[in-house]
Amino acid sequence: MKKALALILALSLAVSSFAACGAASSSSSAAASGSTSAPAETTNDTSVSFSWWGGDSRHEATQKAVADYMAANPNVTITTDYGAWSGWEDKMSAALYAGTAPDLNQTNWNWLFNYDNSGATFVDLNDYADYIDLTQFSDAALEQCTVNGRLTGIPIAMTGRIFYWNADTFASAGVEIPTTFADLMAAGETFKTKLGDDYYPLVMGEYDRMIFMVYYLECKYGKAWVQDGAMQYTAEEIAEGLQVLKDMEAAHVIPTIQTLAGDGAESLDKNPKWSEGKYAGILEWDASASKFSAALNNPDAFTVGEYFTDIGEYKGGFTKVSSCFAISQSAKDPVAAAKFMNYMLNEEDGVKALASERGIPCSATALKICTDEDLLNKTVAEANSKVIDWCSFGIDPTFEDAGLKSTDGVYYDVMAGVSYGDYSVEDGAKVLMDGVSAVLEG
Amino acid sequence: MGNQGYQTAPAGALPRRKGKFAKFVEQNIGFIYIIPWIIGFLVFKVYPFGSSLVYSFTDFNLFKGIKEVGVMNYVDIFTDKKITTALITTVKYAFMTVPLKLIAALFIAYILNFKIKCLNLFRTAYYIPSILGGSVAIAVLWKALFRDEGLINTMLGYIGIQGPSWLSDTSYAIWIICLLRIWQFGSAMVLFLAALKGVPVDLYEAATIDGAGKWRQFFTITIPLITPVIFYNLITQIVQAFQEFNGPYIITQGGPRNSTTLVAMLVYNYGFKLNEMGMASAIAWVMFIAVGILSVLAFISQKYWVYYSD
Repeated sequence: MKKALALILALSLAVSSFAACGAASSSSSAAASGSTSAPAETTNDTSVSFSWWGGDSRHEATQKAVADYMAANPNVTITTDYGAWSGWEDKMSAALYAGTAPDLNQTNWNWLFNYDNSGATFVDLNDYADYIDLTQFSDAALEQCTVNGRLTGIPIAMTGRIFYWNADTFASAGVEIPTTFADLMAAGETFKTKLGDDYYPLVMGEYDRMIFMVYYLECKYGKAWVQDGAMQYTAEEIAEGLQVLKDMEAAHVIPTIQTLAGDGAESLDKNPKWSEGKYAGILEWDASASKFSAALNNPDAFTVGEYFTDIGEYKGGFTKVSSCFAISQSAKDPVAAAKFMNYMLNEEDGVKALASERGIPCSATALKICTDEDLLNKTVAEANSKVIDWCSFGIDPTFEDAGLKSTDGVYYDVMAGVSYGDYSVEDGAKVLMDGVSAVLEG
Repeated sequence: MGNQGYQTAPAGALPRRKGKFAKFVEQNIGFIYIIPWIIGFLVFKVYPFGSSLVYSFTDFNLFKGIKEVGVMNYVDIFTDKKITTALITTVKYAFMTVPLKLIAALFIAYILNFKIKCLNLFRTAYYIPSILGGSVAIAVLWKALFRDEGLINTMLGYIGIQGPSWLSDTSYAIWIICLLRIWQFGSAMVLFLAALKGVPVDLYEAATIDGAGKWRQFFTITIPLITPVIFYNLITQIVQAFQEFNGPYIITQGGPRNSTTLVAMLVYNYGFKLNEMGMASAIAWVMFIAVGILSVLAFISQKYWVYYSD
């Protein structure tokens, strides 16, 4: 009986294995066909799954684009999966590895490097040039999304961090909106004495502080954070940057990390102190302007700031591809996904629906349509213009590596550690350098 | 396996010779019925269990593959400050929440065992948190209650007390996470209540006649007779405490300064934030072994304090 049972179990497992192998081989062949031969267009009913992250306004705009596209293409059904950024990368990285990610995805720029080194995750979009008008994008922009010679994402917009201020709060404090670092440092004490302990001219979480520190150091020393795979700053220089952040806390310019954690808010735009104007400034992506202005009790008070001119002689700060569209290797109908991607990036209806919800478009035709039709969010456009004019540095894709940037990563550890007093600025600099070096070494 | 389910041949008819396959099926019908479960168990339990053990001895990264094989993950677990802190925090969390939760459950069950007004209402009210407690919504609510300007500090403010920063002070945050777990004592309470109902009333009557007070009766009659249920609750609560994830993940994200990072959260962070499945598997195995050792110790200890009626 034992032999018979073993035989049945073995047979059952073999059947399961063959079924699994069959599924795997069919998907591999589909993937292979996507990369080696010209993709075939289907005219039958088809479906495309599509994922993105963002705030409410982006969700609404994207859903409208999806609905419009399906109305114009009745044979195409687009299923959507979207949410807030928090936890999104965890979910998507697992899905991309497992081959269960949606067909078309909004991806962060560094995902193209982190999750597709072997070329097994995203299709080479050069193979889909018949369906996506790549001529609308500059070579430099496409180059940033090319990994090992494969174009795995199409850049949606270029972005950078810039200051935004709540003009109402500054007016209440009787302080001009700062245009120099010295103005900002002086505003801290005025806020405290005139408005109260709860009021700060600027608020920065752990990752914001990291970006501010890089901006500060680049302004002062004129070096990119990482160049050619090597860290460009010494421990002493980084310690100086961390000390600036400590000084800002001490001068009541920014709240401590403990104060921010005590607010219990999921993100800054959902923090009541931002809405009420108690935190009167942020250093945020240009494309995030809508989200943060909408969160204010008086959105009209939302003001795009200037980069500080008194930190050093260089124009610090970096620009990067804000996000991309990429097609998974597991996509059942990559051509349909490519056509829908082109609709959102280059075609009039799609461009009009999305406008500047993902930033100022990289696509030349999309930018022309948005400009001609006056569709760009004026605040986003103003911020983007200032970012592009000022920021003179790029970033290495590893800057956003999960080991550094995630809430469990080195940036959070160092910034919170220095703020809580667990690390001296010298120790923090050493931990930061070790962490960045470890990531750069792979 | 008998043949009760089969019709017998009519009288006078020649007995029909069964084929080998029919005979085999007849003899093993029970096993055949459970084959789907066995396959599911092998594929979804045994295989991941075994493969995680194999991965724990590698540096397997989802997107970089395996480059190194050895015991380096286990060495890191006991030398990396972040991981050792999480292990210690988890043990502290278990040792704080399990006894307090059991005491709370037993205390409330004892009260609800008396005939009081609105008994069913109270039983329901105390049980509800254990249904809701693990949910995301309750964790979000907990966060809102204990933030600096939340309901708790606002109420403390009304009586002139400046509440601390519950969520951002490393001394308090772990207690907020513990409190959420202790509050979910409903399921343990129901088991205690059932056990208390099973204690023979005549024992209490005899003890009363002999002059034993309520406290004496509680410690010399009630507690010994419900020790099997206390033991069961102890084991299940230890296991659950080591698996806790939702509370710290949603309320504090393991902060401030990793003071509420429990091992289950660390497994998630390594596995799904950093994609380091090798390290995540190793931490999971260390947690498994720790829970196993505690369970074995509890089972060994039961002969000294658990009283079974048979």
